[in-house]
Amino acid sequence: MKKNRNVGIIGVGQSRYSSHREEVNQPELIHEAVRDALAHAGITMEEVDCVVHGNMELFEMIHQPDLWHSLGLGSAGKECLRVTTGGTTGSTLVCAADYLVASGLHDIVLAVGFEKLQEGHTTGGITNMADPLWGRQLQTGALTGMTAADMIEEFGEERAKKVSMKYRIIMDKHAMLNEKAHRRLGLEFDQADELAVNSPALVGELRMIHMCSQSDGACAMVFASEEKAKQLKKQPAWLKDHITVHREEMFGMFGDAPYITTHRHAATQLFERNGITNPRKELDLFEMYDPSSWWGLDWLREFLLLTGDGHLKMVENDEITINGSFPVNPSGGVIASNPIGATAMVRVAEAALQIMGEAGTHQIPRRINQALASGFGGTMWTVLFLLTREPPK
Amino acid sequence: MHPTETDKKDAFVVEGKLALPYQYFAGRTGSRFILGLRDDKKIRGTRCDTCNKVFVPPRQVCDRCFEKIEDKWVDAGPEGTVTGYTVIRYAEPHQPEKPPYILALIKLDNADTPIAHIVKGVPASQMKTGMRVYPVFAKKTMDSILDISHFRVVKPAFELGYTYEELEVGMSASFTKTITETDVYLFAGISGDFNPMHLNEEFAKLTPFGTRIAHGVLPQSLIAPVLGMKLPGLGTVALEITTRFKGPTYFGDTVTATAEVVELLPEKKRARLALSWTNQRGELIGEGTAVVIPPGALPMKK
Repeated sequence: MKKNRNVGIIGVGQSRYSSHREEVNQPELIHEAVRDALAHAGITMEEVDCVVHGNMELFEMIHQPDLWHSLGLGSAGKECLRVTTGGTTGSTLVCAADYLVASGLHDIVLAVGFEKLQEGHTTGGITNMADPLWGRQLQTGALTGMTAADMIEEFGEERAKKVSMKYRIIMDKHAMLNEKAHRRLGLEFDQADELAVNSPALVGELRMIHMCSQSDGACAMVFASEEKAKQLKKQPAWLKDHITVHREEMFGMFGDAPYITTHRHAATQLFERNGITNPRKELDLFEMYDPSSWWGLDWLREFLLLTGDGHLKMVENDEITINGSFPVNPSGGVIASNPIGATAMVRVAEAALQIMGEAGTHQIPRRINQALASGFGGTMWTVLFLLTREPPK
Repeated sequence: MHPTETDKKDAFVVEGKLALPYQYFAGRTGSRFILGLRDDKKIRGTRCDTCNKVFVPPRQVCDRCFEKIEDKWVDAGPEGTVTGYTVIRYAEPHQPEKPPYILALIKLDNADTPIAHIVKGVPASQMKTGMRVYPVFAKKTMDSILDISHFRVVKPAFELGYTYEELEVGMSASFTKTITETDVYLFAGISGDFNPMHLNEEFAKLTPFGTRIAHGVLPQSLIAPVLGMKLPGLGTVALEITTRFKGPTYFGDTVTATAEVVELLPEKKRARLALSWTNQRGELIGEGTAVVIPPGALPMKK
């Protein structure tokens, strides 16, 4: 991507993620993240030029949330923009903030993603995605068992199930390190066989334990021009590049001819234009939008452009753990915390914190020079980010 | 050529309905507000000392200066002032009232931000911003902002008459009363005018009238309730009343006193009225003029 000027992430704020936040209303929940992010950036609302707000449409049954959330956003009198692109809302918020700063339109932009899933009806909202004539009566919300079936067919039932459960338990061990994470179950590897049988079945081989949570929470990030970022933060995280790729709304619209996934397409393009030839070696971290442990596992292969069972081996060999050679989601990922309008933003925020060295109790114990973060939504909608420790040249 | 009607032949329409349940977590600050309404019948807000503002409904944080104000509770109202309103004239299933009804923004006393609510007790045509209103709490709790059933217009203890600006040439009003023997005898007592032409039938037989008549100023005084209570009405100060007596009033006559605005005097905001008195036979028994200060021109004491 050709940018007019570099954009640095100088502040990250997150609310506590939970299935129940009865003690705060929506603006108050958002305010937790906003206050945190401003403090982290060392600025006040005065210095913010523009506020970008986003969440899922229909999920809280509210209209124009950006306007009545202004009590918590601090957006009164500021330029304001609302973005909503489904599951990728958080990603698109980052893209929008990046454009606003890179273009020179604004020097400091606050972006806020939010969701209070306990207040609404997620599956009801998502069902509106499907065509009213062909699909709506058949839609099962966000759940799918297709990937599990494909992986079982390709790698055999025993291995596929075992590795996806191991991925799940690794994510829980990461979530246990992140005190803001929602689901911190304290799982142990020796529980894998029991969970595989006893966790409630949802769709096909997708079980409750594999699936992401429904969370309440908000994430806020402060983006600044290179000049401002260098003034305000000793070590910003630089948003070097990002790419958005999506395909048709219904899975089968173009027939079932073999296709390249939006993840693999996004990764191929992003790596090529940034001269990355060996992502496994050149990247130090991946914060992935992993809605289930089947998808998380499968998508490793797509994003890292692997073939065969390379992705299974990464999990089997503990490479994706926080201390492994290629850490994935030290935050616990989406499986642990999923306030949807914020979820995809949290991936970028967590990658930025790791680069800054400010991830706290789940900081990877080595220097992170280059990180990948992804967002996912819709049927197949991918946003992929490349973040760096050094300002891009 | 544009077709005026859509051809609906072979056009299938999917009829759907989505009912999405939802909750809303009020937060601690909102909870305290709504529970205060329900349990204490109090409307409370939070105050930002930095911005010197009281927010109703309350906020946890001042959105301008980010000061945490969740513990700075103050009572607001209960009365308030309407800062804006509209009249809902169409019906929808989600509406709380049958139309037409008034939806207003109400700034409670001691608050700096208005709340929206229903106003009753005034016809839509006479609704105005600036009206004072007070809350009427619901008899049974609704567990919502409708624990205030509605706001009602504060009625003044006295309704003043027409102001100078409201008066127009041609406006008229009258008062009618039958003058009885009792009235005449009471008036004799009040005025000390025991003249036998009013009280002594034998003496009165000798007068040109041939029988007792009422004191002239008795029917004349019937203009007082017209000016003071009708036109202009309460708050009026009479400066001048002139009367020419044209005929007698016999006991049992029914007298009508009438005033009509004939001139507005802009310099001092006064009005001139033509006065007339007639009886039940249509005879003119008196005429004259009055000059008055209508209400509003002189300040009322609080």
